[in-house]
Formats: sequence, structure tokens, C-alpha cells
Amino acid sequence: MNRFALAFRLPIIVWQGLFFLGPLFFMIAMSFFLVKNYRMEEAFELKNWARMLTRGYVWDSYWYTLGMASLTTAAAAMLAFPAAWVLAFRVSEGVRRWAIFLLIIPFFTSYLVRTFSWYVILAESGVINAGLGAAALGPYTMLNTPFGTVVGYLTLTLPLVVILQTVSLANIDQNLVQAARNLGCPPARALFAVTLPLAKTGLIVAALFCFILSFGDFVAPYYLGGSKPPTLPILIVDTTKSGQQWPRAAVVAVMMMTTLFAIAATAIWLAYRKRVSA
Amino acid sequence: MKDPLVTLSGIVKRFGDFTAVHRLDLEIAAGEFIAIMGPSGCGKTTTLRMIAGLEAPTEGQLRIGGRLMNDVPVHERDTPMVWQSLALFPFLNTRENVEFGLRMRGIGTAERRRRAVEWLERLEIREFAERSIDTLSGGQRQRVALARSLVTEPQILLLDEPLSALDAHLVIRMQGVLTRLQRELGITFVYVTHSQSEAFAMADRIVIMSGGRIVQTGRPREIYRTPECRFVAEFVGRNNILEGISRGDAIETPLGVFPAANLPAAGRRAILVIAADLVELSRTGSEGSIPCSLISEEFVGATVTLFLEAADGTELKVQLPERALGDLDLHAGGRFHLSWPDDVGHVLAEN
Repeated sequence: MNRFALAFRLPIIVWQGLFFLGPLFFMIAMSFFLVKNYRMEEAFELKNWARMLTRGYVWDSYWYTLGMASLTTAAAAMLAFPAAWVLAFRVSEGVRRWAIFLLIIPFFTSYLVRTFSWYVILAESGVINAGLGAAALGPYTMLNTPFGTVVGYLTLTLPLVVILQTVSLANIDQNLVQAARNLGCPPARALFAVTLPLAKTGLIVAALFCFILSFGDFVAPYYLGGSKPPTLPILIVDTTKSGQQWPRAAVVAVMMMTTLFAIAATAIWLAYRKRVSA
Repeated sequence: MKDPLVTLSGIVKRFGDFTAVHRLDLEIAAGEFIAIMGPSGCGKTTTLRMIAGLEAPTEGQLRIGGRLMNDVPVHERDTPMVWQSLALFPFLNTRENVEFGLRMRGIGTAERRRRAVEWLERLEIREFAERSIDTLSGGQRQRVALARSLVTEPQILLLDEPLSALDAHLVIRMQGVLTRLQRELGITFVYVTHSQSEAFAMADRIVIMSGGRIVQTGRPREIYRTPECRFVAEFVGRNNILEGISRGDAIETPLGVFPAANLPAAGRRAILVIAADLVELSRTGSEGSIPCSLISEEFVGATVTLFLEAADGTELKVQLPERALGDLDLHAGGRFHLSWPDDVGHVLAEN
């Protein structure tokens, strides 16, 4: 390798080594440590793994977290798409630029604050139930439910998904859409036959971001979802708090990392695969 | 024209304040290879896109096969187009690209495949059927685009500068492919181009557009030898254009007085057009020849164009076969004499 090329790559190699690979290996190693009298001791035992992988509550959390993150990803993708489509194809360049700017603004405020603001809206005596009450409906319990969790996840992810989808749709070569119509493709069918396949990479990457953020999020399930069952991030916090079980928490963390690796790899493979079925 | 396939009558296209096409009237016969030619921004592509339905005329009527098409949406027109960018679908392989139009018409898988492969064979790209289109060369992709447009057996094919991205030698080959296809299929080709050589090589009839208007329509030879206005004379071929004043049977120009036919009344302004390939070049002067000095030359294969300057600064062009140059010494500044036979000048009345 060229010496200069190496020099330019060095920062990213050092960064990834120090802050990603190093901690990752330490975490994996730690999952084999033991805790005696509330103190962690270096060891190489499979006890933590054996214990965590055989406990029903761990798997309950695992499938619950996976399910909620998947549900959120599907919901975000579908909610975002009409908005992204309008921003990409139905408004001027200037309007689109403003819209993307406005979509970035939520990230200026703390996610925690945005999550708490849902209390005002979703509580038993909140805005929605007050409105429904006026129509002699409700009240409905929305806080501390899976619904609350999804609302929280969407608070975190939806603006980002809209931005990523908008950008990928706006970059489509409109000649190809016109070419499809010119070959007898009605507008609605062109969406599925041409627009979606062309925007595929961006749409999948948007969904992947949404999944990763939701899957690892602590705030929404904790404050809006009521943590029954706890999601994996809550489980990690709980495990470290009860009896200093950092090694068992590391087991959960490794489970999460492995899942994310598998899902990200699959998504990237799908996103960049040249062909779609015809 | 009896039963034209496509009729544009009084077609106007405006984009906001900009008028791209002004009251255009044009009839295109069934089975005709027509080229619409002009510089960029002349309205030729807009006209083509209106026939395809990709743009709606602001005013006027567009008919195809007698049917008024103004409100017929693109996908119901059956006017496939070969795009300048080719616009092949990158997520489909070669065969699937060709099948696209058939799939949209709800034709079954087996029949679709059979017809697509037939066309791939016809265009000699059968072996690439299952290949991704971005592994194909420019010429091969061109053939895929053609097959994709023709597989549905349309009555008319629209071509928007399809050869502009190809290398020169491929352009010549594709011209051969296009003219052969058009003859064999007997369908109408409407070919938009800014390239004179493409239009002249293939078209039965040429429409020259400028500033959103048709300025001349005719067979390639007519356009070439008898341009009807200064724009066409300058745009087509290599013409020498001399402004002057009519003396009835001759025209008085800054370079001398030249006999010419079809002149306007004496005293009126006129333009004398002499095609560069009709100008004669010699080392020694003769009666009435114009002394010039050589500025530059341009070789295009077997043809050479020499650019010369007369004493008063008028630029003149001579086109010669390369072998006719003989041992002429072509250094810049070389002195030559130009002349032309009396009857080759073509006169335009200047208004």
C-alpha cells in the first residue's frame, strides 16, 4: 500500500481500534468474568452465558425488543414515505430544502425532553384523552404501554427516516420514470416498477437506521413504555444495578451487537444487490 | 400528403413566459423516416416530447392515426422513445429491460421472453440477455434501448439524439442498423438530432427548426443545395455566404460582381450562397478569382475543409477530397485564389 494512503487511513484505524474494537473485545471478555461479593474478577467461565441464555425473561425481552424495533421500522417507513414522496416530487427545490432543515430541528433539543413532552399529550388527563373525553370517549391508557414505546421510538427516528427517504427519492433519474410511462406503465404502477427499485438503497438504509436506533434505545421504553417487559437496554441497566452483574449485562450487550451485525449485514446486502426480481 | 400518421396543427408550447414552440404545423407520413434538426433550444426535443405525451401542447392539436391525442396520457399512446441518455433500467437485466413494455401490456411470461429474445437476436445482442446492463458497452446498450422500444411493435418510434453519446465509428454502424430496421419494419421514425451528418445519412425528409419554428422542410439534398434562408445556409453544410446588392442578372458583393440566377429586382439586397465543395482552389489567379490567404484546415477523413480569408477580411471555405490536395503546400498564410462556376451560386432574397 502507498505510504500516503496508509497515512490518510491511520486516523480512522486508530479511532476504530481505540473506541470500537478495543471496548468490544473488552466487553466480550467481560462476559466470561465472574462476580464474587459484588466484585468483578477476571475469569474465563461460561456461567454468565449459560445463565442468561436459559432464562425466560431474557428471551422475553429479546423478542419484545426485536418486535418493537421491527414494528417501529415498518411504521416509520410507511409513515415517512408519503411525506418523502411529496417532498421529493411535488414541491420546489427551495421548499424541499426548508423542509429538510425543519426536519433537522428536532435534533436540536434533547431527546429526553422530547420524550417527556409526550406525557402532556398521552397521559390519562392529557391532550388526547381530554379531546376524546369531550366526545364522550376514553380515557385510554397510552403511557406505559407498547404503544407509548413505539411513539417514543418514532420521536427519535421519524424525522431522520423522512430525510433519508426524501434524499433517495429526489436523486432518482426522472428520465427512467418517464421512460417507464413511455413504455406503457401507468403512474401508480411506475411507483412499484421503477421508483421503489431505484430508491431501494436509500430506503433500506433509512429503515436500517431506524431499526438500529430503536433497538438500542433506552429512553422511550423506559419513560413511555413502562418497561414491562423491559427492553434489552433496560435489562442491561437493571442487571448492572442488581448485584453489580456487569458480566451478565455484557452477555446481553453481546447478544444485541450480534443481532445488529446480522441485521445490518443483511440490510446492506439487500440494499446494494444489483438485481431485483422482475 | 395522404393520411398522415402524425399531424401537428397550430401547436404552441409555452413554459411560463418562454415559448418553446410557436404555431407549429407538421404532417408525418406512415413509414417515413423524418429528422427534426436544429441547434439546442430550437424546440425539436419539445416537439418530440409532445408527440410522446411527455409534454402537453399549450395550444393546437396533435393527432396520431387520425385520433386527437392532446388528452391521452403517455402510457396509453404507444409512442416509444429512444432516449438520449438511453434510460435503461439499471435494476433489470438486458432481457428484462426489453420485456418491460410487454410486461406493462400484461403479456404472459413465456410469450414475453420469446419476443424479447427474438428482438435481442435481431439486434445481435442475444448473448447479453442475462447480463446486467452496466456490463454492456455503449453500442450494446444502444441496441438494448432500441429493442426495448420496438418489442411492442409500435407504428412509430421516437428517437431523441440517440447516437450523441457514441464514438464516431459506432455512430456510422448504428446509422446502418437504424435505416435497415426502419426499412424492414416499415414504421415511422421521428429522429431528433443536432447532427447534420446523422440526419442527412438516414432521413427521407428533414425538418429544420430554429427558435421554436420550422424554417425549412425537404429532402436532404434540397436542404443541402437549396437552403431557403440564411439560417439554414449557415446551419447546414459548409456554405460561403456573401451579402450583396442585386443588379438584375448579377450580384454585387464586396468580393466582386458574380452572375447569378433568381435574383430579386435590381437594387434589392440579396445573399449569394456557394457551397464549399463547389469552390475551386488554385495557386495562380485567373479572371475574376478571389485572392485569399489560408487560415487553417480541418481534416475529416477523406474530406478537407480549408478556411481562407479574402483581402477585406471575408472568411471563405473550400471543401476538397483529401487526394485532390496533391502536393499543395498548406501552411497558414499561404496564398491561393478561389473561384466558382457561374451557375453554382444559390440566391437568397434578404428581407
